Amino acid sequence: MTKTNASAPIISVNKVRRVFRSTQKGEGMKETLGLLLKPKTTEHVALKEVSFTIEPGSFVGLIGANGAGKTTLLKILSGLIPPSSGEATVLGYKPFDRTMPFRHAISLVMGQKAQLWWDLPATDAFDLLKAIYEIPEAKYRERLNTLAELLDVKRLLQTQIRRLSLGERMKMELIGALLHWPKVVFLDEPTIGLDVLAAEKLRDFLKVFNQKEKATIILTSHNMDDIERLCSRVMILKTGEMIFDGSPSKLLREGECRLRVRLKETLTSDAVADIAGVKKEDVTVGESDAGGEEDEGGEGAIPTFYVETNKDAVIRVLQAIMAKATILDMGIEEQSLESVISRIYSEGGVSGGAGLHA
Amino acid sequence: MATLTKYSRLFATQVKNNFVREAVYRSNFVTMLFTDLVWIAVEFALFTVIYANTDTLAGWTKEQVFFFLGIFFASDAINATFFQRNFWQFSDLVNKGELDILLTKPVSPAFLALTRWMSLTSILNFFFGIAIAIKYADASGFAGGLRWALVPVWLAIGVAASVLLRFAFAVWVFWTDRSWAITRLYFQFFGLATKPDAIFPAAIRYTIMTFLPFAFIGSVPTRALLWGLSPLETAGVVLVLIAFYVFDVVFWRLGLRRYQSASS
Amino acid sequence: MRDATLSGPGDSLPGSKSSLLPRLEWRIAALKNGFQDATAYRLEFFLEVFGAAFVPAAIQWVLWYALFVMGHQETIGGLTYHQMLAYTFTSILFTQIRGGDHDFELVEMIRSGGLSNYLLRPTGVVEFVWIRGLAPKLFISAVCLGIGVAVSFFYPELSAARMVAAMGLALLGNIIAYQIGATIATLAFYWEEAYSMLMVKNMIVQILCGELLPLSLFPASMTWMWKSTPFYLYVYGPTQYALGRWTTGEFMDAVGIACLWMLGLWGLVHLSWKLSIKRYLSLGG
Repeated sequence: MTKTNASAPIISVNKVRRVFRSTQKGEGMKETLGLLLKPKTTEHVALKEVSFTIEPGSFVGLIGANGAGKTTLLKILSGLIPPSSGEATVLGYKPFDRTMPFRHAISLVMGQKAQLWWDLPATDAFDLLKAIYEIPEAKYRERLNTLAELLDVKRLLQTQIRRLSLGERMKMELIGALLHWPKVVFLDEPTIGLDVLAAEKLRDFLKVFNQKEKATIILTSHNMDDIERLCSRVMILKTGEMIFDGSPSKLLREGECRLRVRLKETLTSDAVADIAGVKKEDVTVGESDAGGEEDEGGEGAIPTFYVETNKDAVIRVLQAIMAKATILDMGIEEQSLESVISRIYSEGGVSGGAGLHA
Repeated sequence: MATLTKYSRLFATQVKNNFVREAVYRSNFVTMLFTDLVWIAVEFALFTVIYANTDTLAGWTKEQVFFFLGIFFASDAINATFFQRNFWQFSDLVNKGELDILLTKPVSPAFLALTRWMSLTSILNFFFGIAIAIKYADASGFAGGLRWALVPVWLAIGVAASVLLRFAFAVWVFWTDRSWAITRLYFQFFGLATKPDAIFPAAIRYTIMTFLPFAFIGSVPTRALLWGLSPLETAGVVLVLIAFYVFDVVFWRLGLRRYQSASS
Repeated sequence: MRDATLSGPGDSLPGSKSSLLPRLEWRIAALKNGFQDATAYRLEFFLEVFGAAFVPAAIQWVLWYALFVMGHQETIGGLTYHQMLAYTFTSILFTQIRGGDHDFELVEMIRSGGLSNYLLRPTGVVEFVWIRGLAPKLFISAVCLGIGVAVSFFYPELSAARMVAAMGLALLGNIIAYQIGATIATLAFYWEEAYSMLMVKNMIVQILCGELLPLSLFPASMTWMWKSTPFYLYVYGPTQYALGRWTTGEFMDAVGIACLWMLGLWGLVHLSWKLSIKRYLSLGG
């Protein structure tokens, strides 16, 4: 049904660029008429020559701030919009041709746009999808059963969608998107607005679906947990450029860690750097991305210092501090993906550069 | 053939789903019915008042006009039942990006866009219309007999005209952010469809049979049923409908292209 | 009078009556806001006015054309072709002032929950929405009045003084129309929607206000229909007076009847909002 063989990449994107033109309209009749005769347009480059390939069965995370170009890329790959230049192929098809076999083989789920009818029970809404994708009855039953069981919503299939919770509704949207067993699934912010538990359930499901059915999944998310738990590969976009493409573990610098200490003595961060024998910029005070509960509860007067170091050096640094000061409390923290990404974002790229591109 | 089966199955599913949806809101059903009945009553009252002051209107007797109203309501009811509501959703489709989902489906997006919303309760109006037509058929001089077989044909033409026309007014949503002004214009013009075309002066009559074929919804079918159309007129009807179909398809495609170049 | 007529819930908040000036201030601001809102898209504004004014008139005109010219009739319901056209074109000047969409706006606010924001303000919602919707109507009525007065110089059947008074009646009609709309809008508190009821009302108004044909054409057996509603005060009454077909005595009667309607409807608006708002608040808005 598809035009690819097993080993070739399922998606390949070559120097894809996308420019948006929008017309500027002022107030009033004159401006309105002017719009017809001499429209003023502004250009906005949403994607700047992005290239990559994706292997079948991958689970790829696409991250970036609002306006970074994630959704644009997803829309190009799902065939909603054409690239302004460059070439993209998905399953061997040019997505924008939107051939029937292509449409049968993909699925797009948008966390913020529901495709299921609110006033219908899920089963009725699925009936329509069954007709659209021409799924044979037996297969349909079997798939619906599998999906509903995996997502634990079997008992809710007869309930009007509008009466479901946001999490349950999203599960139904996912079932609807997967009933035709797509080979490539595009997920745009699937966990948006979900509580921790619901998001976790959805992630478990996606993992199973990806592993069992060998479906290729491309996911955009603002939720770092999504990326960390699911994706074997992550791409980071910033204002239309790909600034990182590799495994999430490569984002974390090898062996890097962070030492957290609280001291009996009142010292400045410079003084702590001095006694620890590290550079001044490697020591920070009081900020913790790991919750920072220690700072609360009446002990706020004692500051927490964070010393950036690595696993080999951590004992030496600790000994140096203990030689000059009294440690009240200490710990070693792994770096979180979230903090790494926000660092990359603020720095504008991955330090170490090309070496990190997989 | 396979395509036809697929699309009829899709349409059937849409009808079923809309039925399930409407069944939930029964109060809506009553109000809709009431609205339509008042509309019919108002049109009848208007012509009753006019005919209280005259015997014929542009050569049409009161019974002929009532027969026309029956055909018009029946034709309009089919449009209202299956298509009308979708045009109200056109703006959401484009401005809220709902079209995105439709475009990824292996089915014509225009078909999905036109069959998503139905208002099945309006079908009752169809029966009212037919009942009215039957009641005034004899008095209006309708030949009856085998001619009744022509009624579905002309109703189909009426429905096709309403859908194609409404589409031509709705498709502009791709180019304008606010579409209510043009929608309103449509409904203003629609007023022309609720009168027999014979009453209009030549210029208006020409317009509502060519550029804005509102007369095709009820008036022309009624004339065809009562007195028959000349071959020239019949050819005109077919040509205008084809022209509108082409217009709609072309602008839908241009609109999609614009949608794809403007969405971000 | 208008003030009291259209105040809504929230109007009797303490402090809101302490000084006259601030009370006037928000009303002027609302008027300005409504005008700006209606004319922000000028092209659409003109399209709407044009469509609403000329399409019904055009339909009327072709009807008379068909009856008089094509049907060779001398008089219909006692009116000549000329008199009929005079009615049609004069009535355009008043059809623009009747009604408006602000009752639909109320329904939308109730449905969408947007009403909550308004309830927190120290101004009556019902009145606020009315004033906003009135703004463009006032502008249009000034333009129509100007046209009417200008025409009266060339067309003696229309008198300038009568035209001014008739426009006054049309404005009273606008208030009545809104009062009815605001009462129907409260159905939205109970039902899922009240659009259809407003549509029904609009359809009935269209035929009974005299916008489609002079109400004098109604056969004797049907006159009760229009006489039992206030709708004829919107268009038929003002047109009749402006054209000198009503005596000043008849006109004053109509004004008196309009005031009675307003008084009764004022009570109805208050009552319906007072009762239904409880339901809104109990649902948590």
